Amino acid sequence: MPLIEASGLTKKFRQAVKEPGLVGSLKHFFTRKYRDKLAVDHIDLSVEAGESVAYLGPNGAGKSTTIKMLTGILVPTSGRLVVDGLVPSEKRQQNARKMGVVFGQRTQLWWDIPVIESFNLARDMYEIPPKRYKENLGQFTELLGLADFMNLPAGKISLGQRMRADLCMALLHDPKLLYLDEPTIGLDIAVKDSIRKFIRGLVEERGTTIMLTTHDLGDIEDICKRIVIIDNGKIIHDGDLRALKDTYARDRVIHFQLARPPESMTPICAGLPACEIGSDGLRLSVRFDRFEHAAGEIAAAVMPYVEVVDFRIDEPEVEDLIRKVYLGQLTLSPAVEAAAMATEA
Amino acid sequence: MRGFRKYVSFARTSLEITFVYRAGFAVNMIGTIFYVVAMFYLWQTIFLGNPGALGGFTWPEMKAYLLVAFLLNSLLTWYQEWVMGEDIRQGVVAIDLARPIDFQASRFSRAIGPVPFEFTSALAVAAIVAFAFGGIALPADPARAGLFLLSAGLATMIKFGLVYCVSMAAFWTTGTEGLTVGRMAVQNIFSGALIPLVFFPDWLRAIAAVLPFQGMISTPALTYLGKLDGPTTALMLAVQAAWAVGLIVLGRLVWGRAVRVVTINGG
Repeated sequence: MPLIEASGLTKKFRQAVKEPGLVGSLKHFFTRKYRDKLAVDHIDLSVEAGESVAYLGPNGAGKSTTIKMLTGILVPTSGRLVVDGLVPSEKRQQNARKMGVVFGQRTQLWWDIPVIESFNLARDMYEIPPKRYKENLGQFTELLGLADFMNLPAGKISLGQRMRADLCMALLHDPKLLYLDEPTIGLDIAVKDSIRKFIRGLVEERGTTIMLTTHDLGDIEDICKRIVIIDNGKIIHDGDLRALKDTYARDRVIHFQLARPPESMTPICAGLPACEIGSDGLRLSVRFDRFEHAAGEIAAAVMPYVEVVDFRIDEPEVEDLIRKVYLGQLTLSPAVEAAAMATEA
Repeated sequence: MRGFRKYVSFARTSLEITFVYRAGFAVNMIGTIFYVVAMFYLWQTIFLGNPGALGGFTWPEMKAYLLVAFLLNSLLTWYQEWVMGEDIRQGVVAIDLARPIDFQASRFSRAIGPVPFEFTSALAVAAIVAFAFGGIALPADPARAGLFLLSAGLATMIKFGLVYCVSMAAFWTTGTEGLTVGRMAVQNIFSGALIPLVFFPDWLRAIAAVLPFQGMISTPALTYLGKLDGPTTALMLAVQAAWAVGLIVLGRLVWGRAVRVVTINGG
């Protein structure tokens, strides 16, 4: 049975609508008008234990709303949601015991007291057996490098330190499920790397199920195998990250720096009929499908006609792909999902 | 009791935070000391003009009354109320909803955590003031002192219940400062903190009798002084207990409703 199972999960918010200006404010004071906004629109999602899922989408797409329903903070408007055999919003406390959650924008640590005291409070809050608490605290302190600021209040430590301490706090009670809401937001590259490495370790060694929302594509490539994209409250892609790349991010571009302008483009173009070729003085670039051609083939087809001084290859970026999806320039088809299924199988 | 430990932990943490904000605590304390000393001089002047008893109070009794009021007002200071309002307003309560805790119980433990410290500091100040003004009336016997402590405990519960209900308003309004000031004004009058209720005109006393506020100052102070006979004391303590329970239950209902509104309609 999947750990998270959602079907037709929907969340409708009631928003107050106010006309602009003083008159609008007055009108609003007496007759309130509301408009329904579908934040999450009939999504189906199934996550198996031990999976690590990246949950992506532009701002306002419904990511956080979904996470809030999963954590039991919000009650779904309709649809079914079961997390590890419980309906989160009905069994809020029981659900809370089994999950950990880290909000990148908000700390769970107590601002005024030493970090270690926040951890001790978590121990009592989650009724963690003392022995287990000690083991976990020791391990996380070492892996996340918390020793230096363990005795400082959360208000006095840096954002990177705070994030690491927050991760520790969310994990002390051995949650089956960890929700990460933009965990690397605003962090420097070194801290990002150490946090990603730590989360990867969790998945591999503890089998923790991870659900991650982020705008940082690096997080996904490092941590998640599966990628779910939500836009306007609807899931528009759910599948393997590699399958997504293989379907939509197929083009590589090879750029040649030439010694002399080519005498004629005709033979080159004739040799590479399926490719898009651009030429500008001493520069020549060939865009090709990486499944159709090897870079070597392209080079071999070009070299007889020109003298190449240097070359480089642009790899397809997931980032470009996601950007296109967000901007509506690319519609993902069910084919990707089929490809994803095939890869999983 | 299982699950109780976490609330003890909340109380301890909250006490610790009070120590972090010791400067704020001290300033608040100094403010109330000035206030209580001013009240002392005011009532001293009144008693100098009317030697003997006034409204059934002798001067040593009145001094005791004022200090008991001061002591009870020093418990559950503004800090927790302010934090709770801010937490609701800024949506920090969402995090509380994702924790295995009962919201009201956790806030209650956070509120009473600093009480031992608040009580001892206020008691020390009260002792100094009492000494400076030539002593006060003391409880007649240990049983009376015990009854007073019980009544003071109930008064603290009522105060929490009230503060909690008022804080819940933060779900619907943008700020709770106004409400807090309003609550304190009404409370200062009807609790008997400014003037013992016996000095009120009948109609005002009748209003005070049906409000929860008298249980916050008047009842414990009169219990301390032994102004109430046995059956009346029992009745007044029962009224206090009823208000304490009633307000705490009301707080739970309001919270339940607020959470439904927030989690169903979106905050």
